[in-house]
Amino acid sequence: MSPPVLEVKGVVSGYGRGDIVKGVDLAVGRGEIVTVIGPNGAGKSTMIKTVAGVVPLRAGTIAVAGKVISGLRASEIARSGVAYVPQEANVFRTLTVRENLEMGAWVLPEKRAERLELVYGFFPVLRERQRQRAGNLSGGQRQMVALAMALMVDPTALLLDEPSAGLSPKLVEEMFQIIARINRAGVSVLMVEQNAIQALKMSDRGYVLAGGRVRLADRAAALLDNAEIAALYLGVGG
Amino acid sequence: MLQVLFNGLINGAILAPAAIAFTLMFGILRFPNFAIGAYVTVGAFSILFFDQVAGWHIALATVAGMAVTALVVWACDLIVFRPLRAYPSVSLLVVSIALSLILENIIRFIAGNDVRGFDIPLSRPIKLPGLKFVPEQLYLLGLAAAAMVAIHVLLKYTSLGKAMRATADNFTLAEVRGIDTAKVIAATWLIGGALAGLAGLLAGLDLVIEPLVGWYLTIPVFAAAILGGIGSPFGAVAGAVLVGLAEEVTGLWFNPAYKVGVGFVIITILLLFRPQGLFGQPEIKK
Repeated sequence: MSPPVLEVKGVVSGYGRGDIVKGVDLAVGRGEIVTVIGPNGAGKSTMIKTVAGVVPLRAGTIAVAGKVISGLRASEIARSGVAYVPQEANVFRTLTVRENLEMGAWVLPEKRAERLELVYGFFPVLRERQRQRAGNLSGGQRQMVALAMALMVDPTALLLDEPSAGLSPKLVEEMFQIIARINRAGVSVLMVEQNAIQALKMSDRGYVLAGGRVRLADRAAALLDNAEIAALYLGVGG
Repeated sequence: MLQVLFNGLINGAILAPAAIAFTLMFGILRFPNFAIGAYVTVGAFSILFFDQVAGWHIALATVAGMAVTALVVWACDLIVFRPLRAYPSVSLLVVSIALSLILENIIRFIAGNDVRGFDIPLSRPIKLPGLKFVPEQLYLLGLAAAAMVAIHVLLKYTSLGKAMRATADNFTLAEVRGIDTAKVIAATWLIGGALAGLAGLLAGLDLVIEPLVGWYLTIPVFAAAILGGIGSPFGAVAGAVLVGLAEEVTGLWFNPAYKVGVGFVIITILLLFRPQGLFGQPEIKK
């Protein structure tokens, strides 16, 4: 069996003195969408930032398609096929949409034109807006630029930190559909989400993170059926 | 009045390349580099060296001097600023003040305190109704304009320039997208250094060359960059012209000895009423 696209083992990280992520194991298989849910402050966002190399790793290992990437700088991790989309400040506001996408293709300049066509196929509105400054776009379109920029590198794994944050319910739906389409095009996805129900519905598997540790890992459908999870994290029932 | 405006424009042209360098460095490195004046002094003296000691033509000496200044500025980063990258900007500002004193005194040690000038033939002033200037002032305007166009093309149309803007806009995101920010930083120092070198030529053409030549430019350069909205090269040029004009126009009423104070007054007024500068957008705080 081929190694998982992304494998996280015993990862510890945090800011300052304390650890926020306290030994997390998780994996994303080829073609999977995996969602991490959990209460605020569970360490979800810190965990995904650690994988992306933005927050330094304190212990554990991270491997992409069997190749260890832990300890590398964020720009080197980006080169290894991991495309991370931060929750906020995820576009270059003073650059045009087109320039943002070009920056997305920084590590793959020879395929830029080809990827640009593909990405405009996913997000036709961005072609229309290509000369506008990203900072002047609406929240939903900005989120699209962020995602589109990440896709410019033809990533093996896409890491999404709250892709639906700050979007209207209609746009949330649209965003999740786009993510599903990207996934069908062969990109494995690891995402952290507050919109737990909607995210789990489109996922293959899910993890529940609390207090910096994985409390539960299961198929997404099973997590959705789990009454205890429903009560605690999905905001359903009592 | 025409003469005053012309002189103001010349002042602005001298300030502009240094102000662009300052603002580019600020955009990427996120601290106000007080050593910008000392870099200009390094530029003036390296061009002077190639011009007078080596005896090269002034054009060739300028190119060589710009290259030397770029390397000195980059070396200063490797030795001084890089080890301190994680420090807050105020610490780096203080370090840059120290660096400027060190550079200035190294120059003093090597070249002495004498006042010098470039080896260019004296030329007859050109007189027009209400305006008198020397041909060097036209070269000066032309060179400053050429530098601005070059920087504009770099930032707008080249991958490196776009990466510099991206890195200045959002450093973490630039890293995450795989941009080699270490290279972008090195390029910023080299380009900023070359601009400072050019500023050394311009200052030396219009003023005299002495170890404090850049020092006198530091405050006006700060004022120009803040006026234009710090981090914006276009704003830096506009700010340079406005500060240059302000220095001359105030000279109509005040003793020119107070010229240096004009920059201070502009900085003070701006920081009180419009800290983002004339063209900058207010910083969005979360």
